[in-house]
Amino acid sequence: MHSETSQNLIAPGIHYLQGAEACAEGAMLAGCRVYAGYPITPATEIMEHFARRLPSMGGRTIQMEDEIASAGVLLGASWAGAKAMTATSSPGFSLMQEVISFGIMTETPMVVVDVQRPGPGQGYISTSQEDVMQARWGHHGEGAIIALSPASVQDMFAMTIRAFNLSERWRTPVLVMAEETVAHMRERLVIPDLDSIEIIDRKTPQDEGIAPQDYLPYGHGPVPPMAIWGQGYDVNHVSLVHHRDGRITGYNAETHFDNIDRIRRKIEDNVADISEVEARFMEDSRHFVICYGAVSRTAVEAVLEARQVHGIPVGYIRLKTLWPFPEARLRELVRDAEKIFVPEMNLGMMKHPITEALRDRCRMVAAVPSLGCLHTPEQILARIQEEAA
Amino acid sequence: MMEIERYEIRIAGFGGQGVVTIGRILGVAFTVFSGINSVNTQSYGPESRGGACRSEVVLSHAEINYPYVRRADTLIALSAVALDTYLKDVKKGGLLIIDPDAVRVGKNAADQRVVPIPAAAIAHDSGGVKYQNIVVLGALQCLIAEYIEKTALKKAIKATVPPETFDTNVEAFEKGRAHAKAFLNSKPEFRALMDA
Amino acid sequence: MNEIGHPMLKYLKTEGPSGPRLPLILCPGCGAGQVLNYTLHAVDRLLAEDNLNKEDVVFISGVGCSSRLTSHYLQFDSGWTIHGRSLAIATGALLANPKLRIIVFTGDGDAAIGGNHFIHACRRNIDVTIICVNNGLYGMTGGQVAPTTDTGEKTATTPFGNVEDPFDLCKLAETAGAAYVARWSTAHPRQTVKTIIKGIRKKGTAFIEILSQCPVHKKTAPVEMFKALRRLTARVKEGAAVPDGRIAVGEFCNRDKPDWISRYQDIIDQENRHKDTECTGSI
Repeated sequence: MHSETSQNLIAPGIHYLQGAEACAEGAMLAGCRVYAGYPITPATEIMEHFARRLPSMGGRTIQMEDEIASAGVLLGASWAGAKAMTATSSPGFSLMQEVISFGIMTETPMVVVDVQRPGPGQGYISTSQEDVMQARWGHHGEGAIIALSPASVQDMFAMTIRAFNLSERWRTPVLVMAEETVAHMRERLVIPDLDSIEIIDRKTPQDEGIAPQDYLPYGHGPVPPMAIWGQGYDVNHVSLVHHRDGRITGYNAETHFDNIDRIRRKIEDNVADISEVEARFMEDSRHFVICYGAVSRTAVEAVLEARQVHGIPVGYIRLKTLWPFPEARLRELVRDAEKIFVPEMNLGMMKHPITEALRDRCRMVAAVPSLGCLHTPEQILARIQEEAA
Repeated sequence: MMEIERYEIRIAGFGGQGVVTIGRILGVAFTVFSGINSVNTQSYGPESRGGACRSEVVLSHAEINYPYVRRADTLIALSAVALDTYLKDVKKGGLLIIDPDAVRVGKNAADQRVVPIPAAAIAHDSGGVKYQNIVVLGALQCLIAEYIEKTALKKAIKATVPPETFDTNVEAFEKGRAHAKAFLNSKPEFRALMDA
Repeated sequence: MNEIGHPMLKYLKTEGPSGPRLPLILCPGCGAGQVLNYTLHAVDRLLAEDNLNKEDVVFISGVGCSSRLTSHYLQFDSGWTIHGRSLAIATGALLANPKLRIIVFTGDGDAAIGGNHFIHACRRNIDVTIICVNNGLYGMTGGQVAPTTDTGEKTATTPFGNVEDPFDLCKLAETAGAAYVARWSTAHPRQTVKTIIKGIRKKGTAFIEILSQCPVHKKTAPVEMFKALRRLTARVKEGAAVPDGRIAVGEFCNRDKPDWISRYQDIIDQENRHKDTECTGSI
């Protein structure tokens, strides 16, 4: 339950919410005033919460005819100046890929939450981490993306705010790769003083003192200031390869490369600013568990038990952002290891960039898979004991 | 209230028995009204009624990592299938609440403290069988009073149920509580175990 | 500086720092260019006569020859978007800023892939003006069959003749709930301009289909196609029967019904009033 302030925002203090609700409240605090979605288990609660709450803040929630339309709404809303979000689950996430690709190319701030469930196909309605590669590579073409990985109700709140901030700062779609576990669980949520929460808004040409006649929609720097519809900038959003002034004729290979390289480097060159990695018990460890999302909660339990009960020197690394992949940071953290364990609710996906990053720093990377349900501490511990005792 | 390291409650039955609601009310009672950190999860099939259903509450004064039950301190089994499935995960000496009209407990529960609460029958006289889950809550409160106070649970019920049903819910709650109290009084060895 | 002095040139971006934008990429004799002309005439009239703010005018298109009109030519806010999805994007823009006056360029092909969004936009009666350039085929990709292609017609993907029947986009729009539905052709310039003005003024979804010529894929001279458009179309009064073998043009539907934004506004007004409320929404 939660109480609201006079602006109808959630009040500071201790609350008890479902992850889905915490996500929605975080979005509203970040300034999201347009929500579009389509019902799908296990993400529907997010839309239902927005439907109840958004009107009280002057915002609008709309249930669209499919997930493609839902993601499409975000483009128009963002170009017209609003912060906008949708939430879906894995099959809907597949449908949204063309729109996400378009959002990357047009550099549109928008937030898409994927409450992952098993696949392929209809799969099941339980929990999963099977879309983590799709998050990076599901959209056709080049370009990079930002994807966050929450592990708690508190994260669903805080990381959704961060997702909006990142999407505004870097003019890009941002994904929140949640799992059914985290979306449906209820636990304590601490809302800090609202003034203490940093909210970032996109830079407009007006902010930079650029007049309409001088404005280059894809120029003025690595992250172009974004003109909003209705403010006299005659800005046109295009996803064909373009010049910095928005012209789409006069194609040549050099322009093509400049255009695409800039939007990729915009994200990938700033991985140190964007990514977040948590590391614990690093000093004396010979083995490491590298995890993300809800699995982190099991993993930390297993690591504690391995260390305290069985005397195995295991370290714990949690990827709080999946993409851009924090390769440099991982290499900083892990200099010389025996075995690395990567528990995932899939058959081994993040295991691959992890192996690529640390191949010369360890003897072995072992996937610890679980499909459709969260690992138990015993499952992870058993693997650690098998390989490392 | 004593310092709780980790206490695990699992409730299981069929969809429609109010399994999820019990877990939810408990979570609110602990976290909102008692200041204890708790995680409440549930799992069920897509059917609204009839499919197997499970709700869990893990509480602690510390940070809760693994959010699910590993070895339940308390199991509430509202169906025979639920008991069969989850008995093996109950701690030795753990609390087992069952509805004796639906569930038969055999020798395999010898290590647990079994408390039979005919919740459906009790609820039948207080608003109807759909209040059976609140009857169970009342019984539970009596049995683990050192973890949860009556006032906190009542506030949690009030915050959860439709306002016009609150009085009926309180009646069901009190009846469950009274039944558990009577049971404890008739089993002095339980009392001792609970105080230990 | 352009010496031809077309009156609508003031609404086009002709060049920029990276080079010239003109000529339009459209084929000589293409109807889409005429549709752009008629639309700009309509907007020009409204800017002069109504309270229409040029800053509020937004053009959105999808993919196809007709959608190319927004590719980089317009001196307005615009978006050249995803094939068939303009209406979802337009819906989003209105939810963010209901003051925007949105004109959507689409074609029969773009409307086909966007059929779902087309139906629901009309059903919701969102306040946009949809201008659908119907040339009876997929032009940009080389002349393939479209849901508006006549039965039996030979196209790039129906080399032995189309085995399907076309549907009537205007009837679809009307059934789905659009407030204003009309059809003209590129060979009806004055009527088209008047109708576009009416459509933009209309609160709710205005669907205006404009039959258009594709001389390249139909392999027919533009002038011949014009004559055919005038010959084949027949202006009918509402409810009257269409003469055999002719296509009805004119206004089919003009009804007053509230648009999505105004209906939702009632909810905002109602909910906004409840401040400092204890909300137990999560339980």
